[in-house]
Amino acid sequence: MDLHSNRRIVYFLVFTVVALVYLGKIFSLQVLDKTYEQKAINNALNKITIYPARSIIYDRNGKLLVYNIAIYDLLVFPGEVKELDTSEFCRVLGITREDFLHRMQQAALNAKKRQKNNAYNKSAVFYANLSTRQYTAMQENLFRFGGFYIEPKTDRLYAVKGGAHVLGYLGEANDRALKGDPYYRPGDLVGITGIENTYEEFIRGMKGIRTVWQDRTYREHGEVKDDEFNKPAVAGPDMYSSLDFDLQEFGEQLLNGKRGSIVAIEPGTGEILALVNKPDYDPNLLVGEARNNAYRALVTDPRKPLFNRAIKGTYPPGSTFKTVTALIARQEGVLKPGTMHGCYGGYHLGSLTVGCHPHGSPLDLKGAITISCNAYFCQVFRDVIDNPKYGNVKTGFSQLEKHLRSFGLGSTLGVDLPGESSGNVPSIKQLDRRHGKSWKSSTVISLSIGQGEILLTPMQMANVAAIIANRGWFYTPHLVRGIGPRRSLPEKYTTRRYTSVDSSLFKVIIDGMEGVPKPGGTAWGTDVPDIAICAKTGTAQNPHGQDHSLYIAFAPRYNPKIAIAVVVENGGYGATWAAPIANLMIEHYLRRNEPSKNPGMLERMLKGAVL
Amino acid sequence: MGSARSAGNENPRLDAPSVWLYAGLVLIGLINIYSATSDPNQGFHFSFNSLAGRQMMWIGGAVLLILTIAFANVAVFDYFAYGFYALIILLNIAVIFLGREVAGARSWFGFGGVGIQPSEFAKAATALALARFLGTYGIRFKGTRNVFICLGLFLLPMGIILGQNDTGSALVFLAFFLVLYREGLPGGLLLTALWMAILGIARIVMTSRGVPHFWTYGILAVLGAVIIWFGRKNRQLVITVSLITISSIVFSLLVGFAYTKILKSYQRDRIELTLGLIKDEQGKGYHLHQSRIAIGAGQLVGRGFLKGTQTKMGEKSFVPEGHTDYIFCTISEEWGFAGVVVFFLIYFGLLFRLVSLAERQSTTFGRVLGYSVACILFFHIAINIGMTIGMVPTIGIPLPFVSFGGSSLWAFTLLLFTFLKVDEKRR
Ligand SMILES: [Zn+2]
Repeated sequence: MDLHSNRRIVYFLVFTVVALVYLGKIFSLQVLDKTYEQKAINNALNKITIYPARSIIYDRNGKLLVYNIAIYDLLVFPGEVKELDTSEFCRVLGITREDFLHRMQQAALNAKKRQKNNAYNKSAVFYANLSTRQYTAMQENLFRFGGFYIEPKTDRLYAVKGGAHVLGYLGEANDRALKGDPYYRPGDLVGITGIENTYEEFIRGMKGIRTVWQDRTYREHGEVKDDEFNKPAVAGPDMYSSLDFDLQEFGEQLLNGKRGSIVAIEPGTGEILALVNKPDYDPNLLVGEARNNAYRALVTDPRKPLFNRAIKGTYPPGSTFKTVTALIARQEGVLKPGTMHGCYGGYHLGSLTVGCHPHGSPLDLKGAITISCNAYFCQVFRDVIDNPKYGNVKTGFSQLEKHLRSFGLGSTLGVDLPGESSGNVPSIKQLDRRHGKSWKSSTVISLSIGQGEILLTPMQMANVAAIIANRGWFYTPHLVRGIGPRRSLPEKYTTRRYTSVDSSLFKVIIDGMEGVPKPGGTAWGTDVPDIAICAKTGTAQNPHGQDHSLYIAFAPRYNPKIAIAVVVENGGYGATWAAPIANLMIEHYLRRNEPSKNPGMLERMLKGAVL
Repeated sequence: MGSARSAGNENPRLDAPSVWLYAGLVLIGLINIYSATSDPNQGFHFSFNSLAGRQMMWIGGAVLLILTIAFANVAVFDYFAYGFYALIILLNIAVIFLGREVAGARSWFGFGGVGIQPSEFAKAATALALARFLGTYGIRFKGTRNVFICLGLFLLPMGIILGQNDTGSALVFLAFFLVLYREGLPGGLLLTALWMAILGIARIVMTSRGVPHFWTYGILAVLGAVIIWFGRKNRQLVITVSLITISSIVFSLLVGFAYTKILKSYQRDRIELTLGLIKDEQGKGYHLHQSRIAIGAGQLVGRGFLKGTQTKMGEKSFVPEGHTDYIFCTISEEWGFAGVVVFFLIYFGLLFRLVSLAERQSTTFGRVLGYSVACILFFHIAINIGMTIGMVPTIGIPLPFVSFGGSSLWAFTLLLFTFLKVDEKRR
């Protein structure tokens, strides 16, 4: 009856073959191909970035300077925008169709880049920093625009109107930032300058991740409850600036109507108490929607309000430099407190004459500083570089250069602001180029009084004042006192740097400086009763116009609390503008909340304009 | 078979391995339906209103059905086979006019919230009717009349179901060709089917690649001519090869025509996607791509129970239907290759067991019924899983015992347990 019973083998065979072929295929999908795991995650989970709050920034007295507000980005999954009513979308967002297409294209490009970086999801910012109107309109209509979602992040608000060059501003991450650090995404706000930039890695905090389920239409379906997929954002730690903002604002008032800088440093710590530049701008201009337009206006402003001249502007230090010349000569052993030099209306050597103003002669070192005798320091300078010990002028000069560099001159100090200038200490090579190879001490004699090839930033000048106040050492000037609850600081701001001049050699120079604001000194009439201000005026020759008014000072003489440099461009003599401004700053800082004992001078400075 | 005892099986019990394997599959189904429809934001949460809850009630119904069958007189199946067949045929015709339209097909009767799909029961009815016919004393799969009746018995419901526009369910009836092979359908016919499949695929590949028609015919003609040349001494061979060559050319022609003129463009896309002729992960191939992602994401040991990601957002999931037609994706993602292997062992173990049981039947009725169950299940499994991994064009049919759905579960339970009951009473 049953003729075909051996055909059962065929069934077993067919079943087995199909089962094995399928298992093979499934094995290749599940085990051999490792890409599906990630594809599945990319599909179903949307890792939404949680932007941390940036650090709140306070001044040294706990005054709030900078804080945050929430702003929003509109993101898109470029491949997943289907059935979008484009004209309606453009209307809600308030953009043109061309803009829409351009942004879409850009987003697609960025999304692809992110995927290449192994970034988690394939979305990209479509419109960064929505305005309040756009945000509200979008939030209400988002359900109609599949493939789009909104992410909150933070922008800055300023509690103050000043300090712009210290605080800096934010801007959208540029290509270099994006390439340099995978942390950033197009549209992210990063610190462009100021301490926002220097401390960006602290200030920005740490982005968190909120993972949500999403369906095929890229709409959210609640949060994934697995810790593996969620990471809270970590806010940037509180930042305590070294600024005394009260002093800062006072400085800004004093410098109004002038062009120049004030830098005040606490000598014992290197903390910058005030960093004032004029012209400047209100930091509140560079936030939110108006940022880009305001920035363009500031960049093209011929007054250069964005220019941080305190660290980028370089000036011949003029007579303020005589202090340094004297200190080096003391260290070289060619100058004693009692060394006397005569002055006959200046320094004469063959056809060379360096003029001097009328004063009694001869002078000792203290007197020469107080009176600022050019002839005296020309001689001292020649004694240094023509020192027979070194055999020739170049060896002598290189010795001088070494000392200068130990004062932090000729190279950037390492201030915690981007773009600091190094100023200039001429090298032998540079002098060779300028004067030919056979120059003599007389050729470069003007360096002795801070003219010629020597250039300092106002920051370096203030630091020289701090060095003298400390009698030979300094901390790298810095704008941040402490980061986070432990008030930590980078090591370079807690390490003393010693100059090559012995501390015992400072006394006579300080004696001389103490006389400067007093009767008979070059800044006679600018002193503050009962505060021992040690200072040195300077006038920097300016080939382009009126000389610059310079002044360095520290006070009080014993246990100094503040060292300061003031530059008023085209301000003429140091005593005219820089000295009164610096001394008023010192008075304001040391006699907080007391009315000035120089009301007339204060009035004159506040009202005076040099522009 | 050697036993002459007329009282039937000495120890009457439903075949235990089959019952256990069945229970295993139903349980796997329930677990994965629960997972596929669970809210990823909630922990374990059960409700009878949920799909898993409803499946549990369907399972309860299936248990009642099994008990009914277990206590029924086995003679009833034989006796009512034709009547049941006629009833089901009528229901399947009626559904075309009275049914609810779901996804373009008219194959559902709706009663309030529940629906029933008569085409699911047509498989069991056809299997019983075919078994009854071939089991009739003196009748064998031989002679034009008998062959035509056999073919008619399953081509009729197949045609009707095609009329319901439910291509997937209809295609499953081709499984009966496989059943008839055991009853004497010439092996050459299945080889012919294989040859036709090869020809058809070749033709489709060439058509979609824009290769001109004459290449197919040219190659076939040359091939035939070469064989004829070497076998020119053998008259019989010459005639056979000539016939095969000519009919192959004609068949190719027909396939080309049918493919471009009869098939709808979405059907062509599905076929071309399966053959790998087009690759369009965002458009036409989206569902296949998503299905593969879900399976591939399982890796060796799977994400774990309830931890799947691709099937849980209902209709807007990346893989929708993760509890019905695409439940294999859910299984694969959560249990990984290890789980798939276990799943295959259970499934194919059941198929092997069924063929063994069918072979121990003393009656043609029992044997045909057994092979029918095995072949129908095999077709369903092969098409359903093949579709999710892209080895078979997308055809929407459920995975037996596993996919969500009362009709499908009850129909397959009825099919399996009728046979197990027959097996229990075998003589
Ligand atoms: Zn003089």
